[in-house]
Amino acid sequence: MPDTFFDPHQRSTIEAAMARIIPTDDTPGAREAGCIDFLERTLSGLDYLFAKPDGSGFEVLEGRSARAWQTRLDIMRTKYADGIRDLDARAEGLGARDFASLDPERQDEVLRAVERDAAAAPTTATVSTGLAGPVSAEPALQQTSTETDLDFLPLLVTHTRQGFYADPIYGGNRGRVGWDVIGFPGPASLKAVHDGTYTTLRYFAEGEAEKVKEFHDGL
Amino acid sequence: MAFETKPRRADVCIIGAGASGAAAAKVLCEAGVKVVALEKGPWRRRESFGGDELANINRYNLWPDPLLNPRTWRETEDDAAREEMFCPVPQMVGGGTVHWQGWLPRFTADDFRMRTVAGDLPGASLADWPITYDELEPYYLKVEWAFGVSGEAGANAFESHRSGGYPCPPMPVSRYAQKFRQGCDALGWNSFPTPQAALSRPFNGRRATVVSAFAQQHGDPTGTRSSALNVFVPDAVATGNYDLRPNSTVGELVLDGDGRIRAAVYQDEDGGVFEQEADVFILACGAMETARLMLLSRSGRFPNGLANDSDLVGRNVTFHEYSAAVGLYDDPVYAWAGGGYVSASTFQHYGHDAARGFVSGGHIAVAGVGIPLPINWRLPGTPAWGAEAKRIDREHYSHSLAVAMVLHDMPQHSNRIDLDDSLVDAWGLPVARTTLKPHANDLAQGRYLIDRGADILEASGARSVTKVYADRVTGNCSHQHGTARMGDDPDTSVLDRWCRAHAVPNLYAVDGSPFPTGTGANPTLTIMANAWRVAEHIVARRGAPSARTSS
Repeated sequence: MPDTFFDPHQRSTIEAAMARIIPTDDTPGAREAGCIDFLERTLSGLDYLFAKPDGSGFEVLEGRSARAWQTRLDIMRTKYADGIRDLDARAEGLGARDFASLDPERQDEVLRAVERDAAAAPTTATVSTGLAGPVSAEPALQQTSTETDLDFLPLLVTHTRQGFYADPIYGGNRGRVGWDVIGFPGPASLKAVHDGTYTTLRYFAEGEAEKVKEFHDGL
Repeated sequence: MAFETKPRRADVCIIGAGASGAAAAKVLCEAGVKVVALEKGPWRRRESFGGDELANINRYNLWPDPLLNPRTWRETEDDAAREEMFCPVPQMVGGGTVHWQGWLPRFTADDFRMRTVAGDLPGASLADWPITYDELEPYYLKVEWAFGVSGEAGANAFESHRSGGYPCPPMPVSRYAQKFRQGCDALGWNSFPTPQAALSRPFNGRRATVVSAFAQQHGDPTGTRSSALNVFVPDAVATGNYDLRPNSTVGELVLDGDGRIRAAVYQDEDGGVFEQEADVFILACGAMETARLMLLSRSGRFPNGLANDSDLVGRNVTFHEYSAAVGLYDDPVYAWAGGGYVSASTFQHYGHDAARGFVSGGHIAVAGVGIPLPINWRLPGTPAWGAEAKRIDREHYSHSLAVAMVLHDMPQHSNRIDLDDSLVDAWGLPVARTTLKPHANDLAQGRYLIDRGADILEASGARSVTKVYADRVTGNCSHQHGTARMGDDPDTSVLDRWCRAHAVPNLYAVDGSPFPTGTGANPTLTIMANAWRVAEHIVARRGAPSARTSS
């Protein structure tokens, strides 16, 4: 089953943009986390969208759900193809061959321009109007997101964050670097959540885990 | 699609197998009543759930897929509705309790008579409930004990009378709960461990709840949390009286010549159409979908929707709204541990106080800001990408927490659920359209509650505080109420005090739809307690032979 979608040029363009969204500094960024591989898998088709909950592979989508996801993929693929062309066109406007060949500062300028233009378009969802995702101004997501309503840049930001912080089984967060950057002591694998051995009790108030130790195998 | 063999007639047909439908099923089945339950979603086993934020939050593994189950929203009836996932709830056996972390405070005695307490509020349709706290109290206790709720009786100084304690002591104290309580203490406010649908220790043959980071909005692969799926459904199944049919979408309830419901017409997974007959029908689809199904069920007797003589079906809908003040601390609070919702609460600003200048108040509690990862949130005014966004992710992750509020939004006649006139779902049925504009009271109360949350943050030593006011009601906490309000007067209510339709003698609704007011507290404990009360009443009526023919 293919787990890629982009051609080499598209791939290098998106990888460069992701590296500006979560840049590498003294800690790893989107590039080291493999966010591009996460996105390639996401867009590749229906085969890698839902991990089996015990981490043993991926679910097979069928019926209505499969059709809905195919529709969603078609929308997202188009947004990426169009978005990449737009990035290159803007780069050419700056005298460069394409977006990927710009230096990082000028890439940031291009991305900011895309963001400004999208925010000015009243008929599309923007960074400030989405219900969820990093597009949201809400501090706590209590509701699911509608990614396909997003413009290209918010969609890319959303997917970059997903690739950085989601479970490594999806191809990003390579070596758990996303979790390490923020200090999240995540499970060794999905299996550890599934079998109930993963616990966060030791991050509760001092002495609390000790009091209930007898009830928890994971401690 | 063709009509298939008619299924065997049931004593009671329940539409929905979430919190309320499963609670009613347990009570009915244990009393020997034969129940058929028609549930739109799948019947998932615990093994099918996992600690996967991408699947559970972003990819509709648990939430309804908006491409299959779309909804629309508009502010007023003069506006064009736009597609928006307004107030979704997981559609599967167990419903919202599958992915909740289960804050289970009780309502207070005043919640049942807010119109009497606060008086009329212009523009709102406040109403007292036809039942009192004391009538519901025994059922609160039954649900708390069935679930093994972990809490501390008497710790909430504003709670009304309780006839017994909690079955399990409070959950272990998280660092974020500790901060919250320190802040309340410094302010001289009462606070308490949030009563939780989880086991702090083994109870009733079940293991103590695993304290994973993947809890709120995640299903529970360990089966150790308390939910309708883990508790009520197995109880009902064990009786042999519960015929639970998942993937069964009811599109209409049809009447007989006497104005009683004869059958629920439903599609199974393969598109086969069936008519399920029963003596009694109970709607338990959630307040939005219950109203939608009533409005879809038009007939000569009820041209505007089932039991809708009063034009009240779908009206007076309330949703709460969830928002928070977010604080950043120097020391770690690990507000992702335990999923961020092993919490502490205060009812200090819950009851009505006319001096505040608005009606009622709400539950304030502490929570995490990610669920658990910072994939899906950021603070207002902060960048979504770039070096600064990354710095904030790093700095905030283990050092920030949210003090959140449950807004008691006011019922209004013009706020309603009806059928969208152009959009249909994947089953070809018109979708629920929400028309909703917040009352000025909602906005004022919301600002007040967020400001009090900020007080708690400051009093507990937060070094920075960001207030996120709710300037509109988006249905972001899955709570929904009021679309078939109960009351004694058929002109001003859809259901009677037993949640039976005034106009249809064998129709009941037991989700949030009967609630005349939404109150400022998480509703599901009350929904389940009320479902239990109504189910007992149905059992009692069936027991009386005269009632059997007249009801």
